[in-house]
Amino acid sequence: MAEMNTDNSQSAGIDLSQFYQVFFEEAGENLDNMERLLLGLDITQADDEELNAIFRCAHSIKGGAATFGFSDVAELTHQMETLLDKLRRHELAPNASMVDVLLASGDALKAQLARHQGNGGDAIDTTDLLANVRALVAGQAPTAVAAAPAVVAQVAAAAPAKGKRLVELRVGPLSNLAQADELRDLFKEIEGLGTIEDLPSFPDQANTRRFKLETASAESDLLDLFTFHVSREEVVFLPWSEGGVQVDPDKGLFEGGAAAAHEEPGYGFFDNAPGAPLSGVASASSASAEVVQASSAAAKPAAKADKPAAGGLESSTIRVSVEKVDQLINLVGELVITQAMLAQNSRGLDPVLYQQLVSGLTDLDRNTRDLQEAVMSIRMIPMSTVFSRFPRMLRDLANKLGKKVELVMQGESTELDKGLVEKITDPLTHLVRNSCDHGVEMPADRLARGKPEVGTITLAASHQGGSIVIEVRDDGRGLNREKLISKAREKGIDAPDTMSDSDCWNLIFAPGFSTADEVTDVSGRGVGMDVVKRNITSLGGTVEIDSAEGYGMRVSVRLPLTLAIMDGMSVGVGEEVYILPLSSVVESFQVNEEMVKTIGGSGRVVEVREEYMPVIELEKVFGVPRFDWEHTSGIMVVVEAEGGRVALLVDELLGQQQVVVKNLESNYRKVNDVSGATIMGDGRVALILDVGSLVRRSRH
Amino acid sequence: MGMMEKLDLQTDLAREYLTFRLGDEEYGIDILKVQEIRGYENPTRIANASHFLKGVVNLRGTIVPIVDLRLRFGCASAEYNAFTVSIVLHIGHRTIGTVVDSVSDVMEIPAESVRPAPEMHSAIDASFIRGLAQVGERMVILLDIEGLLMSPDMGLAD
Amino acid sequence: MHSILAVDDSASMRQMVSFTLKSAGYNVVEAVDGQDAWEKAGGRSFDLVLTDQNMPRMDGISLTKKLRENPQFKATPILILTTESSDQMKMAGRSAGATGWLVKPFDPNKLLEVIKKVIR
Repeated sequence: MAEMNTDNSQSAGIDLSQFYQVFFEEAGENLDNMERLLLGLDITQADDEELNAIFRCAHSIKGGAATFGFSDVAELTHQMETLLDKLRRHELAPNASMVDVLLASGDALKAQLARHQGNGGDAIDTTDLLANVRALVAGQAPTAVAAAPAVVAQVAAAAPAKGKRLVELRVGPLSNLAQADELRDLFKEIEGLGTIEDLPSFPDQANTRRFKLETASAESDLLDLFTFHVSREEVVFLPWSEGGVQVDPDKGLFEGGAAAAHEEPGYGFFDNAPGAPLSGVASASSASAEVVQASSAAAKPAAKADKPAAGGLESSTIRVSVEKVDQLINLVGELVITQAMLAQNSRGLDPVLYQQLVSGLTDLDRNTRDLQEAVMSIRMIPMSTVFSRFPRMLRDLANKLGKKVELVMQGESTELDKGLVEKITDPLTHLVRNSCDHGVEMPADRLARGKPEVGTITLAASHQGGSIVIEVRDDGRGLNREKLISKAREKGIDAPDTMSDSDCWNLIFAPGFSTADEVTDVSGRGVGMDVVKRNITSLGGTVEIDSAEGYGMRVSVRLPLTLAIMDGMSVGVGEEVYILPLSSVVESFQVNEEMVKTIGGSGRVVEVREEYMPVIELEKVFGVPRFDWEHTSGIMVVVEAEGGRVALLVDELLGQQQVVVKNLESNYRKVNDVSGATIMGDGRVALILDVGSLVRRSRH
Repeated sequence: MGMMEKLDLQTDLAREYLTFRLGDEEYGIDILKVQEIRGYENPTRIANASHFLKGVVNLRGTIVPIVDLRLRFGCASAEYNAFTVSIVLHIGHRTIGTVVDSVSDVMEIPAESVRPAPEMHSAIDASFIRGLAQVGERMVILLDIEGLLMSPDMGLAD
Repeated sequence: MHSILAVDDSASMRQMVSFTLKSAGYNVVEAVDGQDAWEKAGGRSFDLVLTDQNMPRMDGISLTKKLRENPQFKATPILILTTESSDQMKMAGRSAGATGWLVKPFDPNKLLEVIKKVIR
C-alpha cells in the first residue's frame, strides 16, 4: 500500500500543500472526536446520532486525505467508513471487538498523519488492521486485535476476507419483472444462502432487475437455484464495487445509472434538472418515475444538540494561535506594571491642581483591571481538555491489568488557566493511574468484599473561592495505615503509632515512597507521589489525601485560578519589599514590644482580641540585614491560609497594587516561603510570599 | 583525564569565545551561550541562598538569578563599581546572569592552541575547565560554563 | 462576477474549494453545513451552490430539497460533492432536485471545468 502521499501538491497552478496544515488539524480533531464517541458508545443500545457522527468523522478524514493525496490514510479510513456505514444503517450490530478495531485504526491513522506532517517514525503496517476491518465488515470476528504496530514498510496488499462476499446480480431482460421477486424469496426461505437487497435498475435497462447479494455460496450453486425461476442466460453475476466504477462485462467500463455515457468522468448532470447544462453536454437519459430509495442515503439531520465538549462546528468562534494569546497576556501584564508605576509616581500630586490627571489615572486603573480580567478569561479553558485523555487511557490500562473500572467525570466545564492545564496533566495522570493500579482491586477481590465488580474512579473539578479544586476519587482498597507506617520507619522517617490519619496519608509524599509490592511499569516508575506534590506546589497549589481502608481514597488538588495577576499588599522589612496576596490579608495593626510575648523561649505570640496568635518575624525568616539597631518593627499583618492564621512582623505597610506574578522557577528554582516574584513600579524585583508555607512554619 | 578523553574534548571545543576577567585571571566561554552584557544592578536578595547567589533582577520582565563568579571562585576581592558587568547567559532554557570584573573581547581560539589543564587543586573543579588557551602572551582558561552553572553546588537548579 | 455558495463541514476542503474558485475569479461564500448554508442563502442569490453530502445538522441532499422549495433557488445550479457515486446517491440527488454531482476526490481543475458547464 502506498505510504507517502502521491504528490498532489501541485495541481496545475494550485498549490494544495497550503491546505495541508488545516487538514492535519482538522483530521486530528476528527480523530479525537471519533475516539471519544467510540469510548462513549453504548453497544447494547447504540445511538443513531452517535453512529452517524462517528461515520462522518471517518468520512471527513477520507475526503481530505484522498483530495490531498495521503493515500494510506484514505485507504484505511475508507475501510473504516465501510464498516461504520453498515453500523449506521443497522446492517451490522456494534460489538466490543469492532470498537477495539476502530480504536486501533484511529491510532494507526494518528501515526500515519504524524508521518505526513514530518514527525518521523517508521512506516505503519496496517495489513492486519485492514484485514480485521474487512472481516468485521463481512460479519466475521477479527483475528488478533493489536494496536497498529509501526513496522518497516512491506509490499503485499491484505488478503481478502474469507467467507461471505458481495456480488451484484442482474437478471434480465425480463418480460415479467415479477419473476425476479421469486429470487428474493429464495433467500428468505433458504437459510444460509445469504442476503439480497434491491438495487435501482438502470434507466435504459428498465427490464433488468438488479440486486446486491451477500453470500458464501458459489455462483454455480446460486445459478442452479435461480434457474427454477429464470433462464440461465438472463442471469449475470458481477463483482461488487462499492461506490466506484462498476464493471459491465459486456460493455466494458461503466454505463448506466443517472450518469454520463460510457465512461466515469467523476461527475454528471441529471437530465432536465433545474440548472442543468443545455444539450451538447454529456447528460443522462431520463429516469423513469420511480420511488427512490433515498432513505438510506441521507443521514438524519441532527435534532439533538451536540453533546458538551464536542468539537463544535459553531461559526461564532475563531482560532487564534497560542503565541498570540500569550503575547497579548504579556502586553497586558506590562500595561499593569506601567499603570502601577504611574499610580505610584502620581501619589504625591495635589489632587486639586492636577484634578484631570488624577481622575484620568483613576479611570486608567479601572480600565486596566477590566482589560486584564477580559484577557485572562481568554486563557481560561474547560477542564474537559484535561479530562479528555482519561477515558481512553483508563480503558487501555484497566484492560492491561485485568481490572474493571468505570470513569466518572464531573465538572468538566469548570475553567482554568491554559498555563495550568499543561502542568496539571502529568500529576493528574499519575493519580488516575495510581488509583487504577493500586487502588481498585481485581474484579474477583471486589466481589469477595461485597463490592460491585466494576470499580469507579471519579474525576471532579469545581471552583471554590479563588481556587480550582480537582479531585481524584476511587472506591478501591484505600490506604493501609500499618503498611505506610512500617514503610516510613524502614526509610528512617519518624512515624509514631499515634500519628493522625492525615499525617499518615501524607507519608506517601515522602521521596522514594512506594508501597507497591512490585513496581509495575505503570505507575511505579519512580515518578512518585513526591513528584506529584512538588509539581503541584510549584504551581502554587496544595494536595491532600483522604482515605478509608476498604472503601477508597480521595486526592484533592487545590490550585489558584490564575497564575498571572494578583492583588497584592506590599510591606517593607529593612530595605526589602515583600508582597502578600491581598486575599490572604485579614488585618493589620501597630504593636510595641510589650504586646509580643514569648513561649518556650523562642516561639512568639501576640494577643489579638483575646486570642494569642503566633508571630513570624519576616526579618528572621528572610535574613534581612539590619543596619539600624535601634529600630524595632512596629506593624503586625495578620494573614490566613490553610485554615490557620499568623501575624507577620514588618516595618511598614507600603501599599496595595495589582502585581503581575512572575515565576522564579523558570530560571532559578523554588525558594522556601516564596511563591513567586513581581516587578515593582521602580523596576525592581519583589518576592511574593507563600502565606501557606509561613502558616505551616508556625505550626512546627 | 585520560588521553582519549582529552582528544575528545578538543573536538567539541567551541570556535568563538567571550573572554572576561576575574581578578588577575582571564576566562573564556562559548559565545553562543551569551545573550547580552549588562551593567551590574543591585539584585533583590534571596534568603538562605549560597553566598555567591546575589539574588534576582528584572531583565525586561523576566526574573533572572545573578551569580557572582568572583565569589564562587574565591577571588581575593569582589567590588561593585561602575565597571562591574553582568554577563547574561542562556543555558538550556534558563537565563542566568554572572558577575565578573570586566569583559575583554570575543576571540576565535583554534583547537590547536588549547592545552589540557594540569591536575591541580583550585577552587574550580577541573571537570569544568575545558583547557588552557595560549593567545599571544595571555593564558585564557576555557570554562564549561554550562556544566559549572548547572552543577548541584551552585544551587541554581532543582 | 459570479457568486458561489460553497458548503462543506471540512475546513480544509472548504479552503481548498474557496481558494480554487476565487483564483478563477468567482466570488465565494462559505458555509459549514446545510443549516449554515440555508441561513446564509436567505435574501441572497447565487449563481451556483456547491455542497458536500455528509455533514452534520443538515446534509447536502436535504439542503438541496430545501433550496428548491425557495423560488429564488428554483433554477440555481446545485452540485453535490460526494465520495460515493453509488446509484442510490444519484437517485437521491436527482429526486431532491440537484443539478448534478461531482465525485470526491477531484482535482481543482476538474472542479473549474464542471462549474463552467453549469454557470451562466
